[in-house]
Amino acid sequence: MTLHSYRPDARTELLHGTLDMLILRTLQWGPHHGYAIGQTIRAQSSDVLQVEAGSLYPALQRLARKGWVTAKWGQTEANQRAKFYRITPEGKKQLLREESRWTELVDAIGRVMKPAVTPGTKE
Amino acid sequence: MSIVSWLKRWRRGKLDEDDFQDEIRAHLAIAAEERMADGADRRSAQLASLKDFGNVTLTTEAARRVWTPWWVDALHDQASDVRYAIRALVKNPVFSLTVVGVLTLGIGLNAAVFTMLKGIALSPIAGVDRSARLPVMFRETSSGRQLPVSYPDYQYLRDHDRAFSGLFGSSVAAVNLGKGRSARQVWGEIVTGNYFQILGVRAARGRTLLPSDEIAPGRHPVIVLSDGLWRRDFAADPNIVGKTVEINNYPLTVVGVADPTFHGTTVVYDVEVYVPVMMAPQLGFTFGSRETTPAGILADRRASFFFPHGYLRPGTTLANAAAQADALWATLSRDRPLTDPADRLRVVPFWHTPGGAPSILLPTLGVLSAMGLLVLMIACANIAGLVLVRALSRRGEIAVRLALGATRTRIVRLLIVENLVLAVPGAILGVVLARYEIPVLVGYAESLAAPQRVFFNIGVDGLVIGFAALVACASALAFGFLPALQSTRVDLVSVINEDASPRGASRGRLRAGLVVAQVAVSLLLLVGAGLATRSVEAARRANPGFDANHVTAVAVDVKQNAYDEPRGRVFYRKLLDAARADAGIESATLAAYTPLAFLDMPARRVAIEGYEPRRAEDLSFMSNTVGSDYFRTLRIPLVAGRAFEDSDDETAAQVAVVNNTLAQWFWGGAVNAIGKRVRVADGDWRTVIGVAADVKYVRINESPRPYIYLPFLQAYRSNMILHTRSSAPVDTLVDQARARVAALDADLPILFARPLAGGIRGALILFDLTATMLFVFGVAGMALAAMGTYGLVSYLVKQSTHEIGIRMALGATGRSIVLAFLTRGLTLGAMGAALGIVAALGLGKLLSSMLYGVSATDAVSFARALVIVLGGVIAATIVPAWRAARTNPLSALRHQ
Repeated sequence: MTLHSYRPDARTELLHGTLDMLILRTLQWGPHHGYAIGQTIRAQSSDVLQVEAGSLYPALQRLARKGWVTAKWGQTEANQRAKFYRITPEGKKQLLREESRWTELVDAIGRVMKPAVTPGTKE
Repeated sequence: MSIVSWLKRWRRGKLDEDDFQDEIRAHLAIAAEERMADGADRRSAQLASLKDFGNVTLTTEAARRVWTPWWVDALHDQASDVRYAIRALVKNPVFSLTVVGVLTLGIGLNAAVFTMLKGIALSPIAGVDRSARLPVMFRETSSGRQLPVSYPDYQYLRDHDRAFSGLFGSSVAAVNLGKGRSARQVWGEIVTGNYFQILGVRAARGRTLLPSDEIAPGRHPVIVLSDGLWRRDFAADPNIVGKTVEINNYPLTVVGVADPTFHGTTVVYDVEVYVPVMMAPQLGFTFGSRETTPAGILADRRASFFFPHGYLRPGTTLANAAAQADALWATLSRDRPLTDPADRLRVVPFWHTPGGAPSILLPTLGVLSAMGLLVLMIACANIAGLVLVRALSRRGEIAVRLALGATRTRIVRLLIVENLVLAVPGAILGVVLARYEIPVLVGYAESLAAPQRVFFNIGVDGLVIGFAALVACASALAFGFLPALQSTRVDLVSVINEDASPRGASRGRLRAGLVVAQVAVSLLLLVGAGLATRSVEAARRANPGFDANHVTAVAVDVKQNAYDEPRGRVFYRKLLDAARADAGIESATLAAYTPLAFLDMPARRVAIEGYEPRRAEDLSFMSNTVGSDYFRTLRIPLVAGRAFEDSDDETAAQVAVVNNTLAQWFWGGAVNAIGKRVRVADGDWRTVIGVAADVKYVRINESPRPYIYLPFLQAYRSNMILHTRSSAPVDTLVDQARARVAALDADLPILFARPLAGGIRGALILFDLTATMLFVFGVAGMALAAMGTYGLVSYLVKQSTHEIGIRMALGATGRSIVLAFLTRGLTLGAMGAALGIVAALGLGKLLSSMLYGVSATDAVSFARALVIVLGGVIAATIVPAWRAARTNPLSALRHQ
């Protein structure tokens, strides 16, 4: 589950579970089909994160298998057939768990990268 | 997560492939549409979306993997390992075939021994579940003599015992099936009414015997036939039920045919008829008891013939049952005392049945099992050597795998899978081998036992196949694991530099260790085989104390044609007269038993004049009833006094002849014995008139035992054996003897008619079988060890080609090089031999009970084995060394 940015020099490998979290987050605003999920993540990250289909669809299968999302065929606004994914209550709980884990992690990394000056520590 | 949702997830199954492809198509369509909306033309929009999507197949594969449980993944890995292993092994057919062949031999021998062990100990009664867990009861006297119990005792035990869920009694006997001259002897079991019910054996036709057949003596003249008898003698007659057959000339109605899988409860005997015990008086059974008449057989406590059997109640142990039996027996002995010596009742597992085949065969089978495992060990050491050598030549492949990032575990796993792949055909072929070698053994045993029918419960079943599979897996691990570990310990640099000279000292040590182990184990096997063959030779050469050649043995029982004692006496008188009147006949006599018949004869209580038995001493010896001329006919020398004469009849003084051992034991010498008196059972005191030399009475390896002969005219019995001696061919003699019986009474059945020497063969069966098998094992082990040594040494030599080249370039002669290798080989051989001798000395102790006429430390056997083993080592070393010495030094040096 790797995400690739536009620029090859800025390839960022995200930590395990992050893609799942992003997908669930996207679905929180309502059901989406796979293509839309990819586009949404891309747009929301200001084009930094592009989710490859090769990662996205297996991830959706994984989420479905775990019971965090359900899928149903339907029509897009442009009247095209598409499979829509909807987050389940179980999925919402998982999202909350992932989010708090993520926040902790980011905080921790942040503290390492920009350590606050604490008493007794040399700058 | 709750268990329910976990289960739901588990059940959710697999990727919906069509749906997934549909979804991808939808994705592509939406993406293309968007691009077209941005102004691209349809074709380039579609191509761009497809390009953007990436690899559809890989994506599908990844999605599929989401749904496959981890173990399916692992299994998939294994399957590819197996495929790879098969490919690799097919490419190297010589190696693969050698390993499979060696394993087949090892597993085949073990499967055969295990099959016999299974038939004897694990499921001794064919057609009966849990037969190994069927305890048996018997009496044991103070001197360790093991005896059956009587019918009244059985009844008492059955009615009072609470440890067993039921007790049945059975006793095997030879009975005459059919009428008059056409009668023949078959094995029958005299059983209680609950016999079939407790064993859970059903009737294939009609009914089995039932408790209602055991109500009153003679009330239910019924019989159940074995399936085999019904097919052979009655042509599978569908209307057999209700027909009448004669047993011992008494008509019985057939009520059923037993299940085809059932062959009775007497291991090795093929029992063909089952008769209710209540018919024993009518059929004239006395079971060798002289104290009881057939009429009294069911009421007399002295008439012991039954071994009670039964399954323990759930939760009862053998010890509980034994304690209960002890208490019951104490009560019984107090209430109805016997004149017999003190005894106690024992409860033992089925295989321990007194006089039963399992108790006789198990020690032999134990030794054979040990031998089989040793052969397998050699086979494994052998294959380990081959695998090691092969692993060395695969160092390149393994180094590349390691360099590409394979873990050691992964490679060890692959190598072990390869070994298992080799083991599977080995196991299958081994079972097939066992399947074909067992009938050969059984056929041999049957021909030895003929005309008596024997049955061995030795089908190759799931248990045997499971055993073979287990052995195969264990051997695969044994021969594969160490080499596999070794081969992953590769120095990548040296391999990539293609430096193939042996470097690791540990590898050399392992190979040397394999040679030493193989030599040691094969020496052990050869010593075992040597001891066994030498004891067979000794047993064949052994002087049994009598001369069985040119002597007939023709048995009749005049009671079968309703002769009373006076008529019987007349019959035997006429028979002897007729035989003696023939000018060709050297001598003729009668006897109750033939010597060396392998089966114990009943021992009888004996009183010796001038000897006061210690309290509770069990003074019982075997005896024989013989006619005049007996000692002359069998050529048994008399040490003192005279033989029986025709004048020693009912009117004369009661006399007896004792054997030398009895005379020595009680009177300190043969001469002193003359004129002393003995009493057998409750008979009169008899004066000893002669002392006969000892002979082997039952088994060739028996120790000397006291023995008493009674004159036929003073101790009449209805069943006797006619012995005649003549220089004419013995088969003609047997036919003449038959004709003589027929001339006197055409309707009298002949129980058996054969040369005396033929019956004695039976006493050698066990020696013969054991020796044959040990010999096969020894030869197989030796061949394998020689092969292994040859392979390892020649590999060693090949590895040293470079070294040899340098040595020869520096002026070494071919001879000195051969000598150098020979020294190395012999050093290993000597180490192995030393270990083997130590082990063989231990094994000898184990074997000693099965040996005859040869000590367990027999120098000849050891020397022979040593010569063969060291000869094998020398041959296996010298051939490759000689070949190496003849190589051109230049080409040897160019080798690298």
